[in-house]
Amino acid sequence: MKKKLVLMTVLLFGVGVVLTSCVTVKPTETNFKAPAITLESFEVPQYDGYWYYGSKTKPAKGKAGNHGAPLPMNFLFNIENPNKYPILLESIKFTVAFDKEFDVVTVNSQDTIWIPAGKTTQVRASTLITVRSGLLSLLVTGGYKLKARGWSPWKALERWWTGVTDYTLPVTVHEGAFVFKADGVTKVLPFAATFK
Amino acid sequence: MKKNIFLTVFTLWLSVILLTGLFATAVAGQIMIGGLMDTTGVTSDVGKDYALGMSDALKCINEQGGVNGRKIKYIWFDYGYRILNAIEKFKKLRRLECVAIMGWGTGDTEALSPSANKHKIPYLSGSYSAHLTVPKKTPYNLFFSSDYSTNARACITAWFDRKWPKHPDYGKRKPRFACCYHFAHPYCNAPIRAIKDQARLLGFVTGEDVSISLSSVDARSQVIALKKIKPDLIWHGNTTISVSATIRDARAFGLRSDHIVNIWGFDENLPRLAGKAAEGVMGATPCAFFGQDYKNMDKVVASAKKYNPAIPRKKRTIRTVQAWCAALLLWEAMKRAENAGDLTGPGIMKKGFETMRNFDIGLGASPITFTSSDHRPTTGSLVQEWRNGGFHEVERVDLKKRWPDKWANEWLGW
Repeated sequence: MKKKLVLMTVLLFGVGVVLTSCVTVKPTETNFKAPAITLESFEVPQYDGYWYYGSKTKPAKGKAGNHGAPLPMNFLFNIENPNKYPILLESIKFTVAFDKEFDVVTVNSQDTIWIPAGKTTQVRASTLITVRSGLLSLLVTGGYKLKARGWSPWKALERWWTGVTDYTLPVTVHEGAFVFKADGVTKVLPFAATFK
Repeated sequence: MKKNIFLTVFTLWLSVILLTGLFATAVAGQIMIGGLMDTTGVTSDVGKDYALGMSDALKCINEQGGVNGRKIKYIWFDYGYRILNAIEKFKKLRRLECVAIMGWGTGDTEALSPSANKHKIPYLSGSYSAHLTVPKKTPYNLFFSSDYSTNARACITAWFDRKWPKHPDYGKRKPRFACCYHFAHPYCNAPIRAIKDQARLLGFVTGEDVSISLSSVDARSQVIALKKIKPDLIWHGNTTISVSATIRDARAFGLRSDHIVNIWGFDENLPRLAGKAAEGVMGATPCAFFGQDYKNMDKVVASAKKYNPAIPRKKRTIRTVQAWCAALLLWEAMKRAENAGDLTGPGIMKKGFETMRNFDIGLGASPITFTSSDHRPTTGSLVQEWRNGGFHEVERVDLKKRWPDKWANEWLGW
């Protein structure tokens, strides 16, 4: 009899949990509040200095080519969910600009992360550029802006690779799009911030 | 009583298992599509907007029910126009069992063509090189647009028909022609043979070509070289940045030539960068410019706003529309393949793309046909001109109609 009582209690508790979860607020277009996004920090997880060599330089190992120092970058975002239900962060997309106007990379993260109701989650987005990729990007999209500042591409690259680690270089995240979902309802939030 | 308790527990357990199973089935029912884009490399001035447009389009397609109810999972990478990177990402996309790949430029398309064909993965690129249109050689390469050679032939023809008769020297001498492009770049030099052929066909005198880097913002020395040839018409084969610089410097140095531009150099940014020098510049457009009044454009504009709210409308260009055209084309092919019960690479190609006859994707694109022996999507091209602050239609040139024998027997593949 005692055994039956315990089993019944456990069963009722289980049913109660299931019912409680069913009673929670259902996400709709109108009650889906925009999560608050802030850029918590920016860091270079591994710094290899500033260098570049062209394809005519014979490497000690491997094949020759146009290669430059890598610059890995981590961006840590705080995402606060003000809703009474969990939401899914489906994707993050943003462009990184140096000196406010020179786009160096567009980051596209498709990692999906659940954010509990009423909680703040930290999400890290990582990317990597090299002096080579920076040079190409700069030559194609930044040519007129460089001309306006009177800079050569190499001057800009050296300034960036040496300035980024002592945080004298303004690093901007812009054209951001954070895609959230909750039970079929989608919300896309724009985002921009500068880390100084 | 004991029996009842066990029955209840069993029922609950079964429900959980069934729900989990349904979820797993839903995930397994996703269709994996890969993407290789350039948002940071040497073609990023046009590649970034294309990448954004592709992502918008596939999201919108999912909102409209996906492929007969199955959702698309689109995984894309920025390969920065670094070929080694493209090859590595292609392998990754294969491991993810992508049934089709949305590719980008001539670099990745050429490098990956053998792999895409070996593994029978339809590869829809933004490279519209004519030599990808022969199914015997590249059965899994394709694109939605008229190819570069068709575009150049169409532009030269439209200029010859419309502009040259108004020239003071018309009837007195043959028109002079030159090409200006980055010689070593495969995108730029892909249609050169066809261009020279078309110039000969129409009776032009061709001068020596002039090379200019894709990243150049100063074209003074090239303009000085062109002044010696005094061309009436110049074909520009680069992307927008260097084309705008060349056209602007040509005006500044008094070079009185008309200009026709390949697809990737002719967009909304050209007049912004070239200013008054852009007046009268013509180009072949595979589809409408962003926001022009054509079928399906409302979806393009609404999706751009919805999925990239931080990017102002003026930064969205025809590149977004081009990406949409590729996505809509793949969508149709997948729906047809799915209806035929064969949503595989070969199924999408044979039961999807190659069943299309004058298929209309809207967005100002020409009707699209693919057969098992000819992957030229269209038979001509819409030529537009920048004039009085807007793009205007000059002529929709149909090469097949004008030169049917050459179209059928000579021009396929180059």
